[in-house]
Amino acid sequence: MGNPFTSLLKCCNPDPEKAGKILLVLNALGMVFAAASNTFAASVDKNTSKEDKKFLVPAGAVTGAANIGIYYLMTTKIIDGLKKSAVKAVEKMSPKELSDNTLQYVQKTIAKKENGFLKTGLFKKSPEYIASMKNALIKNGEATQEAKDLFKTNMKAGAGVLGAFIGAVVGCAVLTPIIRDVSAYFVQKRMEKNNPSLKDKPYRPYFNPTHIGPKWQQNTHAKKQPLTMTSYMAFTSGNMKI
Amino acid sequence: MKINNVSNQNFKGDSLNMAAKFIGKHPGFIAGLAGCSVVAQKIVMSTAEAGVAPIVDIGVGKTISKVAKEKDDRFVQSSKVQAVRTCAQSTGGMITGVIIRGACIALSTLGFMKAGEKAGGKIAEIINQEGIKKAENLYKYTKNAESWGKTVGGAIAILVMMFTNFLLDVPLVNFLNKKFTSIAKIKKENKERENQAQEVKEAK
Repeated sequence: MGNPFTSLLKCCNPDPEKAGKILLVLNALGMVFAAASNTFAASVDKNTSKEDKKFLVPAGAVTGAANIGIYYLMTTKIIDGLKKSAVKAVEKMSPKELSDNTLQYVQKTIAKKENGFLKTGLFKKSPEYIASMKNALIKNGEATQEAKDLFKTNMKAGAGVLGAFIGAVVGCAVLTPIIRDVSAYFVQKRMEKNNPSLKDKPYRPYFNPTHIGPKWQQNTHAKKQPLTMTSYMAFTSGNMKI
Repeated sequence: MKINNVSNQNFKGDSLNMAAKFIGKHPGFIAGLAGCSVVAQKIVMSTAEAGVAPIVDIGVGKTISKVAKEKDDRFVQSSKVQAVRTCAQSTGGMITGVIIRGACIALSTLGFMKAGEKAGGKIAEIINQEGIKKAENLYKYTKNAESWGKTVGGAIAILVMMFTNFLLDVPLVNFLNKKFTSIAKIKKENKERENQAQEVKEAK
C-alpha cells in the first residue's frame, strides 16, 4: 500500500489529451460536493422543521443527482464527438497546411507568453523561458517535430475543452434552471396539498440560505415558516454547483 | 426502426463533419483552448449563467403556469425572484470561484515547480517521470509543472470551496441579491412611470 497522498496524486495525472475530461470531472465533482454540503447543511439547520427536512433533504439530493447525471452524460458525448472531429480535421490537413498552422500557433503562443495576460505584462514569462520555448518549438524559421506533435495533441485537447465549455454552459444556463424550476413547482403543489392555506398566500421565504452560514451571519430572527417554491429554488440553486 | 437508425447516423455524421469543418477553419483557436484551466471554465460558465439562466427561469415559470393552467401568477412571480437570485449567485460564485481556483492552481504549480526536481523525492518520481531538468529545458519543465498544478490545484479548490461556499458565497450572494433586487425594482418602477406618462399623453 502506497502513501494515500501519492496514490491520490497519481489519480490527477494531467494527460494532455484528456484536458476536456479533466475539466468535466472537476466540475462534476464540484457539483457533487456542493450538493452534499448544502444538503447536509439543510439537514442540520435549526430553522427547518423536521417534517420539511424529511422532504427537503431527499428532494435536494435527487434534484442534484439528476442535474449532475444529465450534465455528465451530455458533456461526455459532446467532448467525444468534438475530439473525433478534431482528429478528422487534422487528418484532412496537407503536410504544408499542418506545418503552416503549427508555426502560426507556436508563434502566437510565444507572443502570448512574452506579452503576458491580455498584453498587460501580467503572468508574462522570463526571457530564459521564452528562449527555451523557441529552442524547442522553432528551428530555422520552421516548426520542429515536437511543435507539430504538440499542435496535434492540443487540437484534440482543445476540442475536448471546447466540449467541456459547451456542456458547462448548456448545463448551468439551461439544464439547471429547468430542473430546479420544474421540481420547485412540484414542491409547491405538494406543500399546498398538505397545507391548503398556502394557496391564498404569496410566497414567504422559508429556507433562507443565511441560516446555513457561520454564526455571526445567521439571521437570528428567522422563524419557522412553510416551505415554498421560492425558498426551495434558493436552496436548490445553491445545491447544484460550486 | 431502420429508418430511425439511418437518420440518426446521418445526423451524427453531419454534426461531426460540421464540427470538423469548424475546427479545421479555426485551428489556432482550438489548439489555444488546450491550456485552459478550471478558472476559464468557471468564467465562461458563470457569464453564460448570469446572462441566460434568468431568461430560462422566467420562461420556465411562464410555461409551467400556462401548461398547468394556474389561476394566479404566483409561480411566475417566484420565477422572477429566482431569476434575480440566479444572476446574483452566478456573479458571486464567479468572484469567489475564480479567486479560490486561481490561488489553488498558482500555489500547486509553485509547489510542483519546487518538488519536481527534488532528487529521490516521491512527488518528483510521480510528476517528473522523464526526469526533465529545469536548467536544461525550462520550457518543458515549467509546462509539466503547470499541467499538474492545473489538475491538482483544481481538485484542491473543490475541497476548499466546500467551506468557502458557506463562509464567503452565502453572504456575498445575499448582498448581491439585495442589490440586484433593488435595481430590478427601480427599473420596474421607471417602466411603470413611463407607461403611465405615455397613457396620459395619449389621453390628451
